[in-house]
Amino acid sequence: MSEIVVDKLTHTFGKGGLEALTVLENIDLKFEDGSFTSIVGTSGCGKSTLLKMMAGLFDPSDGQMTLDGELIKGTDRRRGMVFQQDAVFPWMTVAKNISYGPRLRGASVTEQREVEAKWTEMVGLKGFEDRWPRELSGGMRKRVDIGRVYANDPDVLLMDEPFGALDAQTKERMQSDLLEAWRQSKKTVIFVTHDLEEAIYLSDKIIVMSARPGRVHHIEEVTLPRPRTDEMRLTDEFIQIKRRLWAMLEH
Amino acid sequence: MDGLKKILSGRFVLGALSIGLVLLIYTIITSRPDNNPALLPPIPDIVASFFTNLAAGTLLDALWASLYRIFLGFFIGTTLAVIIGCLVGWYKTIEYLVDPIIEAIRPIPPLAYIPIIIIWFGIEEFSRVLLISIACFMVCVVNVIAGMKNVPQVYVDAASTMGASRFQVFRTVAVPAATPFIITGYRIALAAAWTTLVAAELIAAPSGLGYMLQEGRRYFLTDQVMMIIVIIGACAFIMDRTFRSIQKRLMIWSETRE
Ligand SMILES: Nc1ncnc2c1ncn2[C@@H]1O[C@H](COP(=O)(O)OP(=O)(O)O)[C@@H](O)[C@H]1O
Ligand SMILES: [Mg+2]
Repeated sequence: MSEIVVDKLTHTFGKGGLEALTVLENIDLKFEDGSFTSIVGTSGCGKSTLLKMMAGLFDPSDGQMTLDGELIKGTDRRRGMVFQQDAVFPWMTVAKNISYGPRLRGASVTEQREVEAKWTEMVGLKGFEDRWPRELSGGMRKRVDIGRVYANDPDVLLMDEPFGALDAQTKERMQSDLLEAWRQSKKTVIFVTHDLEEAIYLSDKIIVMSARPGRVHHIEEVTLPRPRTDEMRLTDEFIQIKRRLWAMLEH
Repeated sequence: MDGLKKILSGRFVLGALSIGLVLLIYTIITSRPDNNPALLPPIPDIVASFFTNLAAGTLLDALWASLYRIFLGFFIGTTLAVIIGCLVGWYKTIEYLVDPIIEAIRPIPPLAYIPIIIIWFGIEEFSRVLLISIACFMVCVVNVIAGMKNVPQVYVDAASTMGASRFQVFRTVAVPAATPFIITGYRIALAAAWTTLVAAELIAAPSGLGYMLQEGRRYFLTDQVMMIIVIIGACAFIMDRTFRSIQKRLMIWSETRE
């Protein structure tokens, strides 16, 4: 079980000050156990802020969030996060990055090796174990990032525009890899993106946010069957959803 | 590979050429009939002074005395700087407590402490090592603090969301992320150690390279003065190069290595 509930959450940066900025207002959301939810919205509408609060990096100024009924306060390995920026540690090799989480908890060298072997393979970086991140392309670094979070085995996976900076082909491959990994593990995934097609292809549910202050504007249920295939991107249903969401984001 | 070799050898050849040119000009000037060798000793005299002092054992004694002070002062100063700098740069409470002191002391040139150190501790070995330690500490600690303050937030956030405790973030993220700054701190400290050493020995020492400089001035042994200057330059150069190669190895992960 790992269900996140967001309850009347409001967040104001610099509250009480002259430059107070309310980025999120009255957000009520529920992310069911094992579901894949995307959040879309224009940039600056508070998506990253919402995700970081779910990770526990800072507290909302009002309202609360719970994981399985337990109040979210502070970071916790149960809620793993892939950041919008490159977060791979440049001073560790690919393998050491992947096994960082288990190492924190005192995993033995053998256990670390197992984790490294399993997840470098899963994210398609076999043979790159001993490389430094600076030797990898942006797409490969993102794979390290995702592999590292997966290897840490969180219950909830928060992903902030993880594929935003990738070229179209790499992106599609990483999307289907992500779905495959999700199908096997059934983690609760919350995925922020500004790419509507990506959102539809991946999700059970898409949350459309409006900006200034960020509010929940619409929730779209995606009923396309699973497993999803690339051909589905061309079906009428897919295109209709895309058109509907696109019209919403225009306003 | 061939191209690289060419560039390297090109660089080496050009470097040797420019040094050779300086030596040549110096030789031409000093071999003019109106040159006063007491002010500008010819190169053979300088070389002779080197061998005389080497044979007499005075040079090695002085070198050893100086290097000992450098290494001890550098080691103490930088070790304290890294420990204190890491804590001050990372933990806000410690920063608020200690940073004002560091900021207050920082603008004071270490040589200004010479009188008070002599008053307190006398002209002892301890005083000289202390002075070098202070100099190394001050320049190094500033870099270490800057390094800790420049740790990218996203690395800290990534580690925290993977379940790292505050101390684990400090140890496994902040310190390694700050190493480029820390190593720069070490290098600047090494340069500061030499500066302070010579100054300290000029004023108050019964031995060492600075002492030999002072002795050369007192007895008008200009060739000895020149020789010691070259020795100091060579030692500082060799140490800096050694440091750089250590830096290169430690910083192998960094994109911006020199
Ligand atoms: N730490 C912060 N302090 C003040 N304002 C912030 C901070 N972080 C983000 N903001 C502001 O909050 C708004 C939402 O930011 P963000 O959550 O990053 O949006 P999104 O991810 O949807 O593009 C932006 O206007 C941004 O400038
Ligand atoms: Mg964002």
